[in-house]
Amino acid sequence: MVSERLASRWDTLAFVACVGLALMARALPEPAQEAVSSGVRRTLLAPFLIVERQTGRLRAAYTQADAFLAERDSAALRAMAATGLEEENRRLRELLVLARRLEPGAVAATVLHQATPTRGLAVVLSKGARDGIRVLAPVVTPGGLLGVVRSVDPRTSVAVLWTHPDFRVSAMTPDGTVFGLVQPRGGDPNLMTMLLVGVPYRDTIPPGTPLLTAGFGGVYPRGIPIGTVTGMLDEQVGLARSYVVRAAAHPGSAIHVIVLLGREPDLGRAFAPESLP
Amino acid sequence: MNGGRNRLRRGAVLLLLVLLHFGLRPWLGTGRAAPDFLLLALLIYAIGTRPGKAVIAGFLIGLLSDAVRPVAFGSAMLAYAVVGYLAAWGKAVFFAENPVVAAAFFFGGVVVRDVLVVVWGRGISGGGLAWQLAFWTPLQGLATAIVGLAVLYAFRRWLGVRLTG
Repeated sequence: MVSERLASRWDTLAFVACVGLALMARALPEPAQEAVSSGVRRTLLAPFLIVERQTGRLRAAYTQADAFLAERDSAALRAMAATGLEEENRRLRELLVLARRLEPGAVAATVLHQATPTRGLAVVLSKGARDGIRVLAPVVTPGGLLGVVRSVDPRTSVAVLWTHPDFRVSAMTPDGTVFGLVQPRGGDPNLMTMLLVGVPYRDTIPPGTPLLTAGFGGVYPRGIPIGTVTGMLDEQVGLARSYVVRAAAHPGSAIHVIVLLGREPDLGRAFAPESLP
Repeated sequence: MNGGRNRLRRGAVLLLLVLLHFGLRPWLGTGRAAPDFLLLALLIYAIGTRPGKAVIAGFLIGLLSDAVRPVAFGSAMLAYAVVGYLAAWGKAVFFAENPVVAAAFFFGGVVVRDVLVVVWGRGISGGGLAWQLAFWTPLQGLATAIVGLAVLYAFRRWLGVRLTG
């Protein structure tokens, strides 16, 4: 009876201690939180992240196998029927995916997905410092800007996506005449909408106008697609307008991404016009 | 001797679930409705242990979860710790031999975890919060409950669980 009571007290004590530690962890300053996270990723989680990374590679190989076979069959048919195949291949090579256009200043990485509800705000990438990834490296998909690297471990890195409340990027229209600041709209990360704020009142942006990174601040190169303006949200008369923007890159569907490592100031030509939504 | 072997078997099942979490989930795409094997491992562990140990296990799983999802650091620790504690306390009431009750036990674990994470954390609000809790959470809870039942049936002897019906 006494031992049962002691055990019950121990249970309560463990509960209070764990909840207290969780509350303390929540209250820690961000650098300290990141230090703890990084330590856990490098030690306790390291073997599991290796399993997840290898599984991701296996899955990618598996899913690409069908496309590879289809391409091979298609090429075989063309080789039998068509002339000038080399010329066509040359043109196809010119349409190579974004990663090839951005080389050598880019690294392809796999997104390691998590199970909790806030997974749409930040992701773990399968590449880290050993692959040249650094903090504040932009993360893109062929569609456009997805996020930015926030912390780097030797083999993995963490990127916050454009849905994250802290995300900001300077934006401009393709003709470079109107500028503003893009931030997440909040709410459901899967709604794919951002806000363009701080647009001078004298400027108006018609719906359907694409937005590109403006290149201010030294984090994001100029010319990466951010999204498309869908309409005006509100205006501060005489001061500024804000617009709703449909994002170019969907966080939920990103399985493979490209991390930009180069210092190229303008990437406009690397993103084909058809990559804009 | 027998107790040691049982602990070993239980540990093997839990390790299998942890490996499935990292090894199988990538095959399930973005996996918003995919079963949460880590939470399942915690709930199965909680079935056979005291609340004190379950809360520590939950805290550690939450720490792992927070480390790979640096949004609202600490929220997963709190959520998993509370789920582990409640599961260990509630097992006598909720974890009967009936499979439906067992499934509800797993389903409830996912719901409580998600509610705590989104309420205590930040980044999801308004319609997104409602959509998450009204649609994705129940869907993931259902998937977790189905897999949980399959695990219980497959390893019922190793886990010392009896399911009837």
